[in-house]
Amino acid sequence: MRIGTNSYTDTMIDQFNVLKSQQAKLQNQLSTGLSVQAPSDNPDAMENTLDDLSSQAAQQQFSGNISTVQSKANSIYSVLQSLQTISNRIGEIATSAGGVTNSQTDLNNYAGEITSLIQQAAQLVNTKDPATGQYLFGGTNSGQQPFTVTTDANGNVTGVTYSGNSSVNQTEIASGVTVYMDVPGENTSGSGAQGLITDSRTGADLFNHLISLQNDLLSGNTTAISGTDTANLQSDENNLTYQVAYNGNVQTRLTTASSLATSQSNSLTGLISNASSADLATTMTQLTQAQTAYQAALESSAAIMQLSILNFLQ
Amino acid sequence: MLGLLGTLNLASRSLQTQMTGVEVTGQNLANVNTTGYTRQSVEIQTSPDISTVIGPEGTGANAVAIQQVVNAILNSQIQSQQSTSGYWNAQQTALQSAQTGLNEFLNGTGSATSSTSTNSTTDTGLSGQLSSLFADFQSVATSPTSVSARQQLVSDAQTLAATFNQVNTQLDASRTTLNTSLGNDVDSANKLISEIADLNKQISTANFSGATPNDLLDEREQDLENLSSLTNITASTGTNGAVDVSIGGQTLVSGNQVLDTLQTYDAGGGQLLVQTATGGVNLTLTGGSIQGTIDARDGELATMQSSINTLASTLITQVNTIHSGGFSLTGTTGANFFNGSDAATITVNATLANNPSLIQASGTVTATGDNSVALQLADLASATQSGLSNQTFSDSYGETVAALGDSLQTANDQVSNQTAVTNMLSTQRGSVSGVNVDEEMTNLMSFQRAYEASAQLVTTLNTMLGDTLAMKTS
Repeated sequence: MRIGTNSYTDTMIDQFNVLKSQQAKLQNQLSTGLSVQAPSDNPDAMENTLDDLSSQAAQQQFSGNISTVQSKANSIYSVLQSLQTISNRIGEIATSAGGVTNSQTDLNNYAGEITSLIQQAAQLVNTKDPATGQYLFGGTNSGQQPFTVTTDANGNVTGVTYSGNSSVNQTEIASGVTVYMDVPGENTSGSGAQGLITDSRTGADLFNHLISLQNDLLSGNTTAISGTDTANLQSDENNLTYQVAYNGNVQTRLTTASSLATSQSNSLTGLISNASSADLATTMTQLTQAQTAYQAALESSAAIMQLSILNFLQ
Repeated sequence: MLGLLGTLNLASRSLQTQMTGVEVTGQNLANVNTTGYTRQSVEIQTSPDISTVIGPEGTGANAVAIQQVVNAILNSQIQSQQSTSGYWNAQQTALQSAQTGLNEFLNGTGSATSSTSTNSTTDTGLSGQLSSLFADFQSVATSPTSVSARQQLVSDAQTLAATFNQVNTQLDASRTTLNTSLGNDVDSANKLISEIADLNKQISTANFSGATPNDLLDEREQDLENLSSLTNITASTGTNGAVDVSIGGQTLVSGNQVLDTLQTYDAGGGQLLVQTATGGVNLTLTGGSIQGTIDARDGELATMQSSINTLASTLITQVNTIHSGGFSLTGTTGANFFNGSDAATITVNATLANNPSLIQASGTVTATGDNSVALQLADLASATQSGLSNQTFSDSYGETVAALGDSLQTANDQVSNQTAVTNMLSTQRGSVSGVNVDEEMTNLMSFQRAYEASAQLVTTLNTMLGDTLAMKTS
């Protein structure tokens, strides 16, 4: 076939451009680690990668949510443990005071201890979450102190009022899966999260029951102490046990959800990598091939271009 | 019988003939690098013989024509392919501009390992920012009274809104650039139409006088190819050598007359299209960069801008509907989270931006620690939206990005294919019409040797004439 001199050089220039372009693309893939960078590189892979990145961001947020709730759960658990210690001492006092051998002085001493324990318990349930500075047991009305203790002139507790509410916040720990870790101080609505101090469904009403015990001790009413008061305190003990168990159950769920979120995030990392990452071995091989082809094109072109009939004319 | 003087005349014409060959070869060599040049060849014919008693006797040769070596079919094919190439090049340029405007790219940190790289991939555009917005709503839901979580939400929402604004501005700018490009292409087409008519006139005149206007033909062929790259044309050659040119069914050049030219017109909303300037006939074009620009502007670019606007307006509506029903840390309610109505106008409510405590995350006025509204806002991330063809925000945007990628990938492939086709046709044309230096140098030697031989013939005849005259004197 006859070849025009300019057709030949034009073709060579096109070949050089194609080979240079291939090398630039492969070098870019190696330096970024990505085979897909722009939508036009691979539209499907780009769409999948964006979708996976979005899912991964959601999983990372769920992990963050879980971490925050776990921190709160630990704070609540710490308070529950202290309350259980107080509850145990209260049980001991009720049992001892309900006997027949106590003098009124002994009962007064017990009453003083109960008063002190009420104050301690009130202080505990007014604990703030160290992470957020919000009250742990005020329900969603967490900005103000939930429990307020009133005493008479003798220092005896006459009442404990609750200014929180019975609502709790749900937290999303996986797509469409929520849990609540909050414990409201009081719930007399008959539904929702069980109240820590007072709950109408279980009969728990710790502060009022302790005030009754305190008053019965002061009045020497051992019958009420061994009867009604002890029974009421058992309801409070059971309620407290439920709260500890609920806390443990939720913490277990959080641990599981955290593992799942991490696992899914890792899985998404693999998917993102498969869709958009450059395979080093393959890319290096392709670059070597392109470089070899480029070198061959340059050498052959240079050799051919140096020759024409003019070299042989005298 | 020619005799001495007749043969001397033969030698003289032979010298002229070979000299013409050298001149044509020189012309070819001089234009070896001239774009669009068609090589020429000299046509040499034997002169009429004369009858003698021993048979017909030759009278030498004459250069009767200097012709272009051209393949009209290849030229026609190249014109057609130029039109297709122009169309896809324009699409590619427009869609590359749109892709840059969208600014949705993946970033990596080059942590490739031996098999596959570990993931450190991030994206630069709206996708990641949408994810951040919904993650921030989650953070506020998890810590509803946290001001720092609210500040992060405001910051990320402002970044998202600014990106929506920026993408819209970039796409508007792309549209303006395409309209400018359209106007420039129409101006170029009109200039070429005028030039073709002028060249028709010169070529007709030359043909009428019996000349062969090879260089003018080259020039007109270049103009026709350049016009083809702007728009699909129909060219037909008349008996006088003039070419009539039609675009979109309208004859614009007839002989040496420009019957009409092109102009842009606003079909509404700044949508520039093309019509004939005098006749006012709206043209439906099928190829070339003019139609490529129109199709990219009114096709993928418009669809993408509409999708981005729908995404922004749906986000504004959905977030505001939920947010306005909530209560802030100070108990205020009724405020929108976003202002504006689309990608061009979306902003974060300045009142909330200045005081994040006013973000209405609570579902009840009496409980600042309530998170029910923030949780609903966070749930928007996975909620399908009827306004987005029952897709989530993320999926809808991903589809928009993929659609742009598909269109640009198609344009890239088509440009690549067209380049291969055009190169192949150019090579084919080069094999017919292109100048080959080796060939021309060989021709030059051939003509040179023939000239040398003819000169020797003249010398010989001169000697013979001298000898003849010497016979008389002696």
